[in-house]
Amino acid sequence: MPHNELLVFGALMLTAGLLARFGRRVGLPTVPFFMAAGVLLGPGTPGPVLIEDPESLHLLAVLGLVLLLFQLGVEFPVKQVLSSGRRLFTAAACYIGLNIGAGLAFGFLLGWGTGEALVVGGALGISSSAIAIKILIELRRLTNAETPVILGIIVIEDLFLAFYLALIQPVLSDASSPTDLVVQIITGFGFLALLFVLARFGARLIGAVINSREDELLTILMVGLVALVAGLSEELGVSEAIGALMIGLVVSRTSVRERVERLVLPLRDAFAAAFFVYFGLGINVADLPAVAVPALLAVVMTVVTNLTAGVIAGRLHGFNQRATANIGLTVLGRGEFSLILVTLALGAGLDPRLGPFVALYVLVLAVLSPLMASGSRYLARVLPDSLLVSNWRYVREETIGTSCSHLDQVVVTEPDGRECAECARVGATWVHLRLCTACGTVACCDDSVNKHAGAHFRESGHPIVQSIEPGEDWRYCYVDAMLVREPAGGGREPERG
Amino acid sequence: MGHKVRIQELPGIGKRYDAEAGAPGQRVSVVVRGNGIRDLYVFTSDSPDPDAVLELTEEQALRIGAILSGTFFTS
Repeated sequence: MPHNELLVFGALMLTAGLLARFGRRVGLPTVPFFMAAGVLLGPGTPGPVLIEDPESLHLLAVLGLVLLLFQLGVEFPVKQVLSSGRRLFTAAACYIGLNIGAGLAFGFLLGWGTGEALVVGGALGISSSAIAIKILIELRRLTNAETPVILGIIVIEDLFLAFYLALIQPVLSDASSPTDLVVQIITGFGFLALLFVLARFGARLIGAVINSREDELLTILMVGLVALVAGLSEELGVSEAIGALMIGLVVSRTSVRERVERLVLPLRDAFAAAFFVYFGLGINVADLPAVAVPALLAVVMTVVTNLTAGVIAGRLHGFNQRATANIGLTVLGRGEFSLILVTLALGAGLDPRLGPFVALYVLVLAVLSPLMASGSRYLARVLPDSLLVSNWRYVREETIGTSCSHLDQVVVTEPDGRECAECARVGATWVHLRLCTACGTVACCDDSVNKHAGAHFRESGHPIVQSIEPGEDWRYCYVDAMLVREPAGGGREPERG
Repeated sequence: MGHKVRIQELPGIGKRYDAEAGAPGQRVSVVVRGNGIRDLYVFTSDSPDPDAVLELTEEQALRIGAILSGTFFTS
């Protein structure tokens, strides 16, 4: 076994990279291969052992974990989550509820303990954004009707991850007595509250601290800030993961956001790979057979819950079989978040079986998920109409027609006034009022004499109007010529009221 | 937003632009990813599957764009 640290690290990274490149050739995700390189070359596996004590990689690995979450925080599309429609929220809530719920149930059935069950719930329940996005790109599905829904679910899931990390924090802390635990929870939440306040009011200050016109300095200040905040969180009993995520959110509100997004990527890639390798190094192959059955059962359960959630999302959005199958089978991959959760759990001294269990689970799903996603048409053929028929309508151009693609332009939902300004100006009357959801203009409907809402669309191109008549909450998209949400009682022809 | 071009956010990836191109069912969709890569999807029939997909680097995309817009020519 070589003793030169540089030599060891180089050999590990190169092996991981080459293995992952081989995997990419056949369309497999990278994360499990980095992990596999660690398993193969680590002390727990017969054959070449590159590194006897994985702890010498610890700092690099932690940096990887911290940068992964920091980058998530920086890129977090807060605006898009807040403006995503109620339907998408419902779909995502079903997805998360089913997966986390089943994961928790599975965790408790394993009987490893309550803390372990919570970790298993998160590890089985939260999908890998990176894997899903790569699948969408590789299978040429970026322009499919269901793709925005899939991406929306993933984004909302990322938000949920932050909450889940905070929620299971008490489990991951290493408090020795109940008083200790209470003190930790209080300081922890106090620190989180401080970071929230910082995100809300102090973004300018943080921006001023790390801002530099030179990329070199910005990179260094950024890494320093992230590591410092993450380390401080750890000291205060909040996990370094949450600290990194929160400081990412703070930075995302500063003027340097875009440059940080660009600069952090290569750093994150290198250190995150080190983190995955490090995780693999800690896995002993001899422990795998003992957890094989639960891991495989967990895989089966994940496939079932994802398909169920996919059908619900498809039904909510009025998708056909094909799109529904794609939703269920694309969000299947598990990766970075599962490994992060388990690493935090192992660091807190929870049941060591979590490591091999999740490692095996992630590996099996990594191979399975791209295969299943690319074969989704076989599933589409056997999905019965009755599952999806609730508000399914045949639309000829299914890739662009079944779902309105302008929902992202809904900005205004509350009208300022209750009169059609144009009509009021010329002293005319109207039948019903419509609100332009892009700019807030209130105008009269197409049953009125002057049809100002329609005229407003032709002038401005603002696609979606909303009825502001009492008791009505539907929206209509002029461009797609469809109701965006069914009115109460549903199933009517689009009404150009 | 232009009259014949639709824009859609793809969170985590970038933005998608759809443009009609001639006969019904013919359209071009361009996805501009956050890292500058452009995915060019070409549809020539009503089928939901694209007939061709090109993954262009930013440089390639700019060159092709210049040709299409008529600003790039040599004698």
